[in-house]
Amino acid sequence: MKRINAIIIISITLVMFGCDGSAGSPGITDNEILIGNVQDLSGPMKELGQIIPAGSNLYFDHVNNNGGVHGRKIRMLVEDAQYNPQKTVAAVKKLIEKEQVFCLYNVIGTSPTEAIRPLLAESEIPLIAPATQSGTMSDMSRPAAEYIFHTDTGYDIQSGILIEYAKGMDENAVIGVIYQDDDYGENVLKGVEESEAEMGITVQKESFQRGATDFAGQVMNMMKGGCTHVIIAGIVKEPIIIMKTAEAMGYAPQFMGISPTMDHRVSLAAGAAGEGFISANFAQLWNSDYDVPKLYRELCERADVPEAMMGMYHYYGFSTAIVLVEGLKRAGKNPTRKKLIRGMETFNNWDGAGTQPLTYNRNDHAGAESVILVQILDGVQTTITDWLK
Amino acid sequence: MKGRYEDENLKWIPALIALVIVIPFMLKGMTFSYKYYLYILNTVGIYIILTVGLDILSGYTGLISLGHAGFMAIGAYSSAILVDQVGLPFGLSLIISPIIAGLFGFIIGFPALRISGMYLGLTTMGFGFIIRRLIIALREWTQGSGGLVVSSPELFGFTIKGDWANYFLVWTFAVLTIVASRRMMKSKIGRAFMAIRDSEQAAQASGINIAQYKMMSFFISGVFAGLAGVLMAHTNHFISTDHFDNMLSIYFIIMVLVGGIGTIYGAVLGTIFIVLLENLIVPIIEKGLHEMFQVKAGDIESLIFGLIMFLFIIFQPTGLYGMWLKIRIYWKLFPFNPKQRFT
Repeated sequence: MKRINAIIIISITLVMFGCDGSAGSPGITDNEILIGNVQDLSGPMKELGQIIPAGSNLYFDHVNNNGGVHGRKIRMLVEDAQYNPQKTVAAVKKLIEKEQVFCLYNVIGTSPTEAIRPLLAESEIPLIAPATQSGTMSDMSRPAAEYIFHTDTGYDIQSGILIEYAKGMDENAVIGVIYQDDDYGENVLKGVEESEAEMGITVQKESFQRGATDFAGQVMNMMKGGCTHVIIAGIVKEPIIIMKTAEAMGYAPQFMGISPTMDHRVSLAAGAAGEGFISANFAQLWNSDYDVPKLYRELCERADVPEAMMGMYHYYGFSTAIVLVEGLKRAGKNPTRKKLIRGMETFNNWDGAGTQPLTYNRNDHAGAESVILVQILDGVQTTITDWLK
Repeated sequence: MKGRYEDENLKWIPALIALVIVIPFMLKGMTFSYKYYLYILNTVGIYIILTVGLDILSGYTGLISLGHAGFMAIGAYSSAILVDQVGLPFGLSLIISPIIAGLFGFIIGFPALRISGMYLGLTTMGFGFIIRRLIIALREWTQGSGGLVVSSPELFGFTIKGDWANYFLVWTFAVLTIVASRRMMKSKIGRAFMAIRDSEQAAQASGINIAQYKMMSFFISGVFAGLAGVLMAHTNHFISTDHFDNMLSIYFIIMVLVGGIGTIYGAVLGTIFIVLLENLIVPIIEKGLHEMFQVKAGDIESLIFGLIMFLFIIFQPTGLYGMWLKIRIYWKLFPFNPKQRFT
């Protein structure tokens, strides 16, 4: 009788584990893990949309050539959503329902990622490293937060750090911020307003619309306001034009930028106007001598990656791919979406991705909350601080 | 006074209703990814409500609008605020929010009394921009450009959740919109709209109050766009200013043009054609290009849309519905077709 009971218990246990291992794992076969990525391949951010997945594939190819993750090769499907939230929802629906991907990775943009929260909750599918640095991504009070693992330091935190650094450079600093009037700028402003309240200062604020190419009005207002330190919350062309406009006006404040302005093309295109520009960065410099940047450059050389493609955004795809692969490893030999979430939540000060050390647990999916500051000195981006919180 | 397409008869409505009921069950039986296709069909249904309204304005009354995404945004944000912040029931918001959008249409109707053609197009496009800025400025209610989380619709004590339930909600309103619009266009109002479109002077001479009917057309069109916005907000559960960019307004115009401007069924056909093309056909073309020629398609979607519009305007200005009518007449008269009529 005891033997029969034991057989029944073992059978039930096996059935339970069996269900967990096979039925709940779309996108997993014996030799493949299918992941879904939504990028902007033909919209306003198409330049990044081409580069970021190329960086990710560079690392996935490296992993696949070395046997994959627990014997399974990683295959990434990239959907184009043109940075449009409505199209992103359709793309994610397709990836989840039609393509049956195992998990989502690197969905680009704040509002597109916000738009897919209901889908994440409905399908209980994890999203690793959304390609936006908005602090809302790691806000655990928002819907489906338990499925999102943010690898980047929030824009709000970054703006706070930059203001504090400016005040550290000069306690009489008059600070201004020129921000993109969208979800990105919204999150930057949140950090600025927090700093204003905390430090008892007033920051001059000037906005511009996404895609703007003329910043004469904003720069003029900063000059009129006597700003000695100007924070730019743009992407690549905005800091270049702003600094060149200021140079033409004979206005020379200390320009600083949120991490999307860290692209090395800023130093190349801004020339003398960009000298001294300080930007925040949540990862090690791609051309620095740390292990991951070294591996990155080695793989780029081996894969003959064009020099124009190499840089911050390509490296971003590369380093977030390392985070995903580590999570997949920690999900075990028979991964499920739940096991991936549990695996990600075991990251404890893990520094293997060429970013700042990442920590996740059940109540905190922010991953990172610090940045290093990088300054253009003699035309070269140079790290000038350690990780700042 | 007759419509451009006299043959828009009602016998298609029962067939449409039957099709609307059968399709989800067919999809569920045929494919495991039916939820994805239902989502696409929900988008089609929401857009149909808007494009039918746009057709009333542009096709029937001859007033162009390049800012209909703005009316949609007003409906969406109004409902999200009324339901989730003010606490009104969804059923009531379903009536109030489209009316708010309609009132904005009424306001935009004022300049339409003095301007027309390209200038009206630019004014309505400006309206689209203004609405986006207004949403950002009213961040206390709208959360600015950060976007707004929206609750699921609740009707008669039931919470409507998931693609399956959304499908029946959306398509109920889509069918009602088609029937009501068709009926309206066959009435005195529709005839007045068409008279204004064909000749304002002649219409005025016939005793039609041009100002009243033009503003009524904007109001009705705004109401439909607002209704589409309400359904979009509550079935997608998240809205932001990025959802309502001006390109969307252009797509709506393309849908109406491709379907056949000045016909309700044409707007329906055009919307189905464009949304299915975008979501089902373009990805196949992109994949084919990539696999056969190792070409990364990039912006192929815009290229295809541009080409389609170009070809339709040159070779088939009456749109898909006009094409269908031609084919039907051809078969009715076969083999006695006067050749020049079909070339």
